[in-house]
Amino acid sequence: MTVLEALLRPRSIAIVGASRRPNKVGNIILRNLLASGYRGKIYPVNPAAPEILGFKAYPSLRKVPGEVDMVVVAIPAEHVLQVVDEAAEKNAKVLVVISSGFSEVGRRDLEEKLVRRAREKGMRVLGPNIFGVVYTPWGLNATFGPSMILRGRIALITQSGALGVALMGWTSSIGVGLSAVVSVGNMADLGFDEISEVLAEDPETRVITLYIEGIKPGTGKRFIEKMRRVSLRKPVVAFKSGRTSRGSAAASSHTGSLAGSDSVYQAAFEQSGVLRAMTLEEMFDWARAFAEQPLPRGNRIVIITNGGGVGVIATDAAEEQGLRLIDPPEDLVREFRRHMPWFGSAKNPVDLTGMAAGPEYSGAVEAALKHPDVDGVIVLYCETGLVHPRDLAGALIETYRKVRDEGVEKPMLVSMIGGDETNKALIHLDRRGIPAYPMPERAVSAMAAMIRYKNWLDKALHS
Amino acid sequence: MSVRKIIEEALREGRSKLHEHEAMAVLREYGFPVPEVALARSRDEAVEAAVRIGFPVVLKIVSPSIVHKSDVGGVVLGLETEEQVAEAYDRILANVEKHAPGAEVVGVLVQRMVPKGLEVIVGATRDPIFDAVVMFGLGGIFVEVLRDVSFRVTPVSKEEAFEMLGEIKASRLLDGYRGMPPRDKDALADIIVKVSRLMDEVKEIKELDMNPIMSYEKGAAVADARIIVDGRS
Repeated sequence: MTVLEALLRPRSIAIVGASRRPNKVGNIILRNLLASGYRGKIYPVNPAAPEILGFKAYPSLRKVPGEVDMVVVAIPAEHVLQVVDEAAEKNAKVLVVISSGFSEVGRRDLEEKLVRRAREKGMRVLGPNIFGVVYTPWGLNATFGPSMILRGRIALITQSGALGVALMGWTSSIGVGLSAVVSVGNMADLGFDEISEVLAEDPETRVITLYIEGIKPGTGKRFIEKMRRVSLRKPVVAFKSGRTSRGSAAASSHTGSLAGSDSVYQAAFEQSGVLRAMTLEEMFDWARAFAEQPLPRGNRIVIITNGGGVGVIATDAAEEQGLRLIDPPEDLVREFRRHMPWFGSAKNPVDLTGMAAGPEYSGAVEAALKHPDVDGVIVLYCETGLVHPRDLAGALIETYRKVRDEGVEKPMLVSMIGGDETNKALIHLDRRGIPAYPMPERAVSAMAAMIRYKNWLDKALHS
Repeated sequence: MSVRKIIEEALREGRSKLHEHEAMAVLREYGFPVPEVALARSRDEAVEAAVRIGFPVVLKIVSPSIVHKSDVGGVVLGLETEEQVAEAYDRILANVEKHAPGAEVVGVLVQRMVPKGLEVIVGATRDPIFDAVVMFGLGGIFVEVLRDVSFRVTPVSKEEAFEMLGEIKASRLLDGYRGMPPRDKDALADIIVKVSRLMDEVKEIKELDMNPIMSYEKGAAVADARIIVDGRS
């Protein structure tokens, strides 16, 4: 077992600082491990309690029988160093240091000592100052965040603890599944690049998302180099906070004063193939598309709608983001015409009119997906009385599956605008592998991100 | 003089900014398209240098204490004859004496005047996270007012250098616009790649500005250069 395999698939976990008190971090982590269905061995370590939540507890890590792959550390910072030696004796591979009180409060010395000692003994450190790690395919939830996390194919690496915990809950609430959540905190040892490398190898993860506040000084070039290799394997979407740059006040040249940190990050993302989202919402919008849909082969897109207004909104967004709304060729126009009243429009955006119900949508979507001149389809729907959103969602799912089963590998994204029933239909679509958005621009933006990634891949593979 | 020697000398003298003739020498050694230059410490030396270099020439004051040379009347362009050079030499020293009294004067730079072209700027700086970073932009208001620039972290490949040229909002100007000819993008990309190499090889260079570089239909020329060094690297 490699050091980093132990991070996602540990066979055994010791929790140093496990507690009987329900409001303690060391208690919540234990409960989360139980709730997530972790099937490896669990060893609570607590010198004062013989038993915690039905598990035999050990007075020290040394007293734990056999080997331990992962040691979760949730004790005050000043005691963490002692755990390192004991963890090494247990042949631990990775230390997940939850504890705060290191470089974030000026104790860089303590943090450096921790990492140096761990590395000397062949161990790696996640943290310190983190909420833990989740890997849903392994039933691993070694965090003090929410206990129930929807399983999926999106991995999240987060530098912020509170936000990361909140996002675990938020993603579940909107039906977005996660493969892994890794809190990197102070990044004393493991950072974005190495964790991404692990996730690049993980068959359960289709897309990696990063919440970045700042990369550690002096590690930028390594970040670019490693992330570029990761991006060649699977898409990486990053959201970087702290965009308004301080500028380089002390700089004495033009270049120095113009090279605010954000423009340099922007360049670094471009050079590494990392897709930069400008909001958290956008990051997950894109990630959902990457997680469930095949990449488009090109940028030739058809928009199918039941309302002219949303069609125009989507068209504007598409133009701005470099999507190409093709003029449908004769044969496709003829096909579209069969699924709309005489006053519909077979141009792109294809307006099936407010009269459209499931069969019209299905017919037009199938024709578009199957046509060789089309690389991807965006379906728009304004809630009407003529078709219930649930029924339309069902028709779209069925059509997409049918076409896919016939061997057509093209992305389809959906946007539905309406009330509660529409919102339920969005989640229904999402859970069945069709990313669906409550506003048309968001579907367009996700399609554009897929096209950008495809273009980057083509270019990177040829150079 | 070699790059290493020039930088060592500046650091020994406690200077963080290279004199312009030193900066030009560093760039020359790395194969940048820089004009002929010479440092003159007297009127006669200036005339002699101008004759050797060939007319037209530019004269610029070389002084570590003067940041904006034109503001103190320290630059005279378009000198075509020996008499004009001699006169300009005296005028520059008089101007500096008047507008920057007490400024330390190293001498006057005699530089072959480069023909007017589309002005671009290429620079580099060191970022605490990503280390050397290269910048490209169009000169004048494009950089100063619109901040229309593109960046790459080193090492920058030729391909990435071309991307930088295309990324600025005004990049169409490089392709020719309203009767203006298209510019030699290959020459510009070449300069960007060389800056990247220079920054990666010479860690003492903290900041570098070539502003302006004249971009032509064929080739380019560095008209003004400034290099900031630091021994702690």
